[in-house]
Amino acid sequence: MKQLKGKPVSAGIIIGQALVYNSHKQIILKEKIPKEAVETEIDRFNNSVKFTKAQLKKIYTNLLKTMGKESALIIETQYLLVKEGNLVNDIRNIIINECTKAEWAIKEIETKYVEIFRKIPDLTFRERGNDISDVMVRLIHNLKSNKVITNPDIDNVILVADDIPPSIAANLMSQGKILGLVFNEGGETAHTVILARTLEIPTILNAETATEVITNDDILVVDGLNGEVTINPTKSFLTKTLIKKEKYQDHKEKLKQVMKLPDITRDNHPFHLLGNIELAFESDILKSYGAKGIGLFRTEFLFMDQDIAQSSEQQYLIYKNIAQKFYPEPVVIRTFDVGRDKASEFIQKEVEHNPALGTMAVRLFLKERDLFKKQITAILRANETGNIKILFPMVTEIEEIYTIKTLLRQCREDLMKEKKFHGKDVKFGIMIEIPAVVKLIKYLKDDVDFFSIGTNDLMQYLLAVDRNNSSVSYLSSPFHPAVIEILFEILEESTRIGKEVTVCGEMAGKTFTALMLLGMGYTRFSMNPLAITEIKRIFTRIHFSYVKKVVKQLLKMNSKSEIEEYLIETLLKKYPDIFIKPPEF
Amino acid sequence: MIKETIEIINKLGLHARASAKLSHLANSFQSDIFLIYHEDRVNAKSLLGILTLAASVGNPITIEADGKDEKEAVQKIAEMFKNKFDEES
Repeated sequence: MKQLKGKPVSAGIIIGQALVYNSHKQIILKEKIPKEAVETEIDRFNNSVKFTKAQLKKIYTNLLKTMGKESALIIETQYLLVKEGNLVNDIRNIIINECTKAEWAIKEIETKYVEIFRKIPDLTFRERGNDISDVMVRLIHNLKSNKVITNPDIDNVILVADDIPPSIAANLMSQGKILGLVFNEGGETAHTVILARTLEIPTILNAETATEVITNDDILVVDGLNGEVTINPTKSFLTKTLIKKEKYQDHKEKLKQVMKLPDITRDNHPFHLLGNIELAFESDILKSYGAKGIGLFRTEFLFMDQDIAQSSEQQYLIYKNIAQKFYPEPVVIRTFDVGRDKASEFIQKEVEHNPALGTMAVRLFLKERDLFKKQITAILRANETGNIKILFPMVTEIEEIYTIKTLLRQCREDLMKEKKFHGKDVKFGIMIEIPAVVKLIKYLKDDVDFFSIGTNDLMQYLLAVDRNNSSVSYLSSPFHPAVIEILFEILEESTRIGKEVTVCGEMAGKTFTALMLLGMGYTRFSMNPLAITEIKRIFTRIHFSYVKKVVKQLLKMNSKSEIEEYLIETLLKKYPDIFIKPPEF
Repeated sequence: MIKETIEIINKLGLHARASAKLSHLANSFQSDIFLIYHEDRVNAKSLLGILTLAASVGNPITIEADGKDEKEAVQKIAEMFKNKFDEES
């Protein structure tokens, strides 16, 4: 019995057989191919390039969101290296001129550049050689990605890997073929980790030397609570593990009991908890978290795949599928919210000095009408069940709403002409992210069916603070008096014109801000699926009337620290168990 | 064909993002554009090429362009260097 220690990132305990996936140690031999096969080989390589680009873009966007610009730069460089074509052309030339397998050609070019970079004395530049190696490993992986995905040996195993392309990991995990994950390093696994958590797959990072120490078919105990990986455990260890596992299951079971409670506070005030999702398959597990519908389906991930973005038909199938799965619960689909960071591969956009105030979201799409119409056509058409709502991000003025509605009408008419319209209109909603829109709510009675508040962006634009900028992020607080007042105002104004509002930013999924919103009178909350159980546990433990009284007091205070302190202290005094830690194991 | 030699003044030199910006800008011109740094000469339209230069602060670099819009190309690229790639203020 041997043990490795790493960093637990997704809870749970699992016992199973190891499958070691070692990307860096593949031995590649020079394999000649006949001249006639060159074209197929180039196709195979081109597919890998296409796949790699899409993958890197996904990881990039994800890193950008979770870790900020600096961390995302590594992937951005890799993406640009593949995109700009020089590297890729070098590889193609080798395949053509030397009639070799793509794997070999990639290895050749990698060796060439790694050599060039190795000679650079300046360390920061020398490290760029690693970027090239990373890209090459990915390109090689993706040549056989299909093989990996359909490999029948991969079933009910604990995957031990130094690195695995996130798309492959996602695919395997979503098919339920992976019991646990152990990684040598931490690196670029953010996306994989998020999925592992969502799917409750115990995961450990930074288990150094894991791929060397562990061999295929070893029996492993992966403890996602303390970060230990035990290789070929003794009998007594296994017994201990099983007891611990049972305790943990009990704890989880208790949380599941919470999920069975009705969605009301102790004084019978109702609330609705919905989920935010990004990938279509996330919708499968959303229900098990107790979500009453999808409050925000971010379609940006679909947009990253050019084929999907350009195909109204493919999008239609995706949207329809999700709507059917959730019927009769609502599914709110937000149109592509892109353009903040950089131009997409297939949308030409000038580099802007201030992208957060520039051409993005609906602003970009009103310029890219073809793509925009494809998406809204797909959404209109997918609403066969009648539970789809459409949501437009970053609306600034009423003129935009008129333009969007005209486009919607056109798309609807086109569908009717093609006899593809089923007669169910989608509800029309806009995001409240730009503070100016709050002042427009009173004029929108006839034009908008519902509102969604993006609290992160609303705060950014209200306080003029980029919360990812560490030197000013301290200014970004949900307890700033202006934030509190504007949240009260939004609810009041939209209730006055009889419209539903859902809060879908981060505030909706965090204990005290969620309670604050509830006290203000908000009843609809859409959040990261993982937060739903905890928010529900808290909401079902408190009295709405009391929280309301506490939150009303906040309007009299002029500083964020006073507000935060008062809110937390008063609530904790009455409900000390709002903050319970999970039991020790 | 025209040339201009300037000094690299941004702290990080031609690091990844700056190189990406530079190759992006170079690609917007029709002219053939090269960067000459010490003994190396690379295509300014290739991110990979620029990265291999490992060009760092305090060193001279030559921009060379040949084509219809060579004048504008050299001028705009030199400007980008002088503006430190808009990354420091």
